Amino acid sequence: MFLTRSEYDRGVNTFSPEGRLFQVEYAIEAIKLGSTAVGIQTADGVVIAVEKRLSSPLLVPTSVEKIMQIDSHIGCAMSGLTADARTLIDHARVQTLHHRFVYDEPMTPRACTQALCDLALRFGEDGKDEDAMSRPFGVALLVAGVDHTGPNLYHTDPSGTYVKWKAKAIGAGSEGAQTALQESYSSNMSMQEAETLALRTLKQVMEEKLDGTNVEIAAIRKEKGEFRIYSQEELKECITRL
Amino acid sequence: MSVLRPNASVMGLPYTAPGNAPRGFTLGEHVDPEDPLEVGNSSNPHGKPRAIGPMGRRFQPYKNNGGTVVAVSGKDYSVIASDTRLGSGYSVPSRNVSRIIKLTDKCVLASSGMQSDIAVLHKVLRIRLTQYQYAHHQEMSLTAISQMLSTMLYYRRFQPYYTFNVLGGIDAEGHGWSYSYDAIGSHEKVRAVCSGTGQNLLQPILDNQVEFRQTAPEKKPEELSLEPCVELVKDAFTSAGERDIYTGDIVELAKVTAKGVEIEKFELRSD
Repeated sequence: MFLTRSEYDRGVNTFSPEGRLFQVEYAIEAIKLGSTAVGIQTADGVVIAVEKRLSSPLLVPTSVEKIMQIDSHIGCAMSGLTADARTLIDHARVQTLHHRFVYDEPMTPRACTQALCDLALRFGEDGKDEDAMSRPFGVALLVAGVDHTGPNLYHTDPSGTYVKWKAKAIGAGSEGAQTALQESYSSNMSMQEAETLALRTLKQVMEEKLDGTNVEIAAIRKEKGEFRIYSQEELKECITRL
Repeated sequence: MSVLRPNASVMGLPYTAPGNAPRGFTLGEHVDPEDPLEVGNSSNPHGKPRAIGPMGRRFQPYKNNGGTVVAVSGKDYSVIASDTRLGSGYSVPSRNVSRIIKLTDKCVLASSGMQSDIAVLHKVLRIRLTQYQYAHHQEMSLTAISQMLSTMLYYRRFQPYYTFNVLGGIDAEGHGWSYSYDAIGSHEKVRAVCSGTGQNLLQPILDNQVEFRQTAPEKKPEELSLEPCVELVKDAFTSAGERDIYTGDIVELAKVTAKGVEIEKFELRSD
């Protein structure tokens, strides 16, 4: 059979002669089409915020969910194919609950992220694996949580890699947002400053004007240890500080 | 079509009508009248093996190898002890078989029951602890181990490990705790507990001397510290060794403190 270079685009588990997995690389590209999400870790907790693209004034903004809770002490923001994220988050929720069942303790955000990445890497496998997909997941996550060491922020991508960050931006505006975070981040910033920085960063890279409906923000604080998505009122209060 | 009937065998052996006809294997029915330690012999006081045909012999998967295990915990320590006699009927096949395992620097487990099940349980626990360490980059806490042991035992609900465990150690706050388990994972967090063939002899002593139950109110002393506690456990074992034929030879005693685990041994009578 006549092999062209594009042949290697087909099989999800076939390396190209240069040693690349095109489908994984394309999946990472898919995230760059997604709405922007940012996460900022401080000494007291983690703030995550996402942009919501409201394509029509008839669309109900609250139905667009881009921040989800995994366990009481872990939550995540997503960018890319958000439907794929549901499968991943379902998996993480089962894992964290199972951990509580077996060990009577909360799962660490790191172990939870590892569990997410285990599934992310299980694409293209045959067999009866219910959760695994035939293609890589087209979504990146910012996982925020607290454990005995303090607040944690992790970034996962479709290749199943995870890295811990102090501040990270993903999605369409990630390049500009990451630069903005790098300029303004300081390790001793307060949670309130982190909220403001997250929204200010989103505002810079968003095409539409930022208001109380087209962003979502959530945080987990070390002393309470509970992940919480902000209410409309709390969000508005954060926006007025911008 | 088969339907589940009352009295149906849990092991999938064929069901036959009640009466003298053989029945499928059920727990607590394996009886060897010659063996005073035989599991379930109290349910068959006459000691007659049930007729299961001229050449029939039912599979008897469980055996009790005796031994006594104790865990006593105080404010900042835990003492876990077990004798090392392996009993089988009226004989002592071995005098030095350890029933105690150091799981972490803060946690020690002692198990009585069937020696082979104990060996496997300890082996599987070791593996699970290592796996946890790889996955979570930290040592398992006492509470995590206590819950995991319960889950592991319950997962074998219908063919349990024939083990009776006591777990002792210090938790994340540095407080000592003991946990006692039945064979299928039901457990309780207590100060002092014992299991095994010397249980009936030792538990009242522990209740009285550690938890100060059944003591006159004016006699209630202060909290037991480590050294008196070790002496109490040693005395308790010496007493059990006098009365219980399945407890004897050597006692292994683990002291768990913030500094780690220290194991000492002392001899009991060998007859």
